[in-house]
Amino acid sequence: MTDAFLAALGGVTEPYTLLLMAIATFAGIIAAAIPGFTITMAIVLTLPLTFSMPPMQGIAVMLSVYVGGLSGGLFSAALLGIPGTPSAVATTFDAFPMARSGQPGRALSLGLFASFIGSLISIAVLIVAAPPLALLAVKLGPWEYFALIVFALTIIASLVGDSVLRGLIAGLVGIAIATLGPDPIMSRERFTFGFELLTAGIPFLVVLIGMYAMSQLLSELEPSPARQEGASESLIGGDMRPHLLEVMKSTLLKPVNVIRSSLLGVFIGAVPGAGSSISNLVAYDQAKRASKHPESFGKGEPEGVVASESGNSSTVGGSLIPLISLGIPGSPADAVLMAAIMVHGISVGPRLILDHPDLVYSMFIAMAVASVFMLVIGVVMMRAFMRILNVPKYIVVPVVLACCAIGTYTLNNRLSDLYLLAAIGSIGYLLKKLEYPLAPLVLGVVLGPIAETNLRRAFQTSADWTLFFTRPISALLLALAVVSVVYSVYSYVRQRRLMAQRAAEADQKGPFQDSASQE
Amino acid sequence: MERKNPDAALLPTLQLASYAVFAVGALLMASKAGSLPASRWEPMSAGTFPQLVFFSIAVLSGAAFVFEIIKRGIPRTSFKTAWQRFAGLQRVWINLALFVAYMAAMPKAGFIVSTFCYLFAAQLYLAPKRPLTVVVALGVALLFSFGPYYLFADVFSIYLPRARW
Repeated sequence: MTDAFLAALGGVTEPYTLLLMAIATFAGIIAAAIPGFTITMAIVLTLPLTFSMPPMQGIAVMLSVYVGGLSGGLFSAALLGIPGTPSAVATTFDAFPMARSGQPGRALSLGLFASFIGSLISIAVLIVAAPPLALLAVKLGPWEYFALIVFALTIIASLVGDSVLRGLIAGLVGIAIATLGPDPIMSRERFTFGFELLTAGIPFLVVLIGMYAMSQLLSELEPSPARQEGASESLIGGDMRPHLLEVMKSTLLKPVNVIRSSLLGVFIGAVPGAGSSISNLVAYDQAKRASKHPESFGKGEPEGVVASESGNSSTVGGSLIPLISLGIPGSPADAVLMAAIMVHGISVGPRLILDHPDLVYSMFIAMAVASVFMLVIGVVMMRAFMRILNVPKYIVVPVVLACCAIGTYTLNNRLSDLYLLAAIGSIGYLLKKLEYPLAPLVLGVVLGPIAETNLRRAFQTSADWTLFFTRPISALLLALAVVSVVYSVYSYVRQRRLMAQRAAEADQKGPFQDSASQE
Repeated sequence: MERKNPDAALLPTLQLASYAVFAVGALLMASKAGSLPASRWEPMSAGTFPQLVFFSIAVLSGAAFVFEIIKRGIPRTSFKTAWQRFAGLQRVWINLALFVAYMAAMPKAGFIVSTFCYLFAAQLYLAPKRPLTVVVALGVALLFSFGPYYLFADVFSIYLPRARW
């Protein structure tokens, strides 16, 4: 154990690795700071650069982009009032008013320091939670694993998007895409329709790049005059000094907010599908409820910035818990991390921590180091980031699309993957326009083969299908899957009733009262 | 109520169409999965799992279609509305067309030439029409076509596609 830890420490703290991690953290912050460029895109585009690196170095670089990216959204949120990523939505509520009132430096420092504390707390929880969970997961049979994936997919489908049905359909379409090509047990060719293009199946990273990056980038070209044109003109001036010591003191003297928000972030991050885009809003809401002066929230309240930023940054540790201990990625970004490990011939699952403890320890250490880099780079280069936010969309969109093509080609050095990318990207954009959530679809492609392998193994072991319902853990997970769907349908119906009730009340008040209240 | 407006009814109409496409497509794929040969070595054949998945998609899409109709009725939109909305996304479609052409051209034209042409054309189309933006677009196209090619070749020993003519 100690040997593995020391090996990991030595690997991560090599000067060249540290240099690469610093660059990666910087790149992650920049990527997330540019509106329209998401963390997942940044991680996907980093993947090909890590192919030639040793596994430990490659993963450390990817995690640095992840950690940097989770705090990068803060810059555009505070300086432009636009969340650079969905995980910084709540940050705009208070960081932007604070920056507009002449304290942009303080708003950014508060967010960066809260992100730093959030990351550290999440790493601590990850170190404590992942190893025992992995030891438990090793004992799970194919029945439990299949049930676990069903549960994970129903949770993802229920949490993302407006419609549970569309979420479930998207998840199943993802699994269906994964059935194209050779089957995972006997390698029998399926659904290729004579196209050589499909004989090897559709690589999930091509689906991920097409569905996530391409559809998002194309959406950025849609007309929205107020957002696009106003963005680059509304950059904020004022006191850009970081006031870091003062910020550290004020945050640490009132630790409850940052600890509560971080723990919420870790918990939400550990639930498949519920990532930083949810945790920042929940943490902000809880901070507002717990505050003695909730009326100041939304007007530049420091506690709001701290809650949102520690809430989103702490999801990174939480989301790695199911990945390291069960081999199940909870978000598309985690799926790319999983791919980065698998590219080096290391299988991801509960045995990861037993067979490659040095790699797992290096992930913990790399996250901690990246958090330090994030804080230092963020504070030192605050002014430079203001300039970067001005990069116009007409440069960002085509350049990142070209980077997507590079990423796709370098995965397998196959030109046919480029055709797949164009097709999948176009379909992804259409699905996005039709309001199908894309996260369940992408995770369906990753989890589908695992689900099929375990289902078929279960039947190879015993033809008795009732075992899925009689083995306690499997039965519990399947019951939880049903409960998650039923609960989300129930909350949807309740929400619609409330909306109808409010509409009826507004009608009863009459048009005169309405116009009066608007005035 | 919102369905009375053809503009508001466009998205529900397209969603209904998507449910129908998914349901029919999934049924066809499920029947195709059923024709995959059974295995001697395991009780489940290679087609059983896909069949399960495709049947589930068909059932859920069918259910979504029926629920939507029962709950909100048949949405009424018009081709004119659909065309207007489609035309409003002109920047997206043209950029998508440029990207598809870029992907199609890369195997023949190679990475450098195809990337340069795509980046230059896409930026010229999207950017405000000013002399400075032409210079910026040219610089960015040169940097991101030659740069990644030599970065990947010299640093990572990964060779991006070369021209074949």
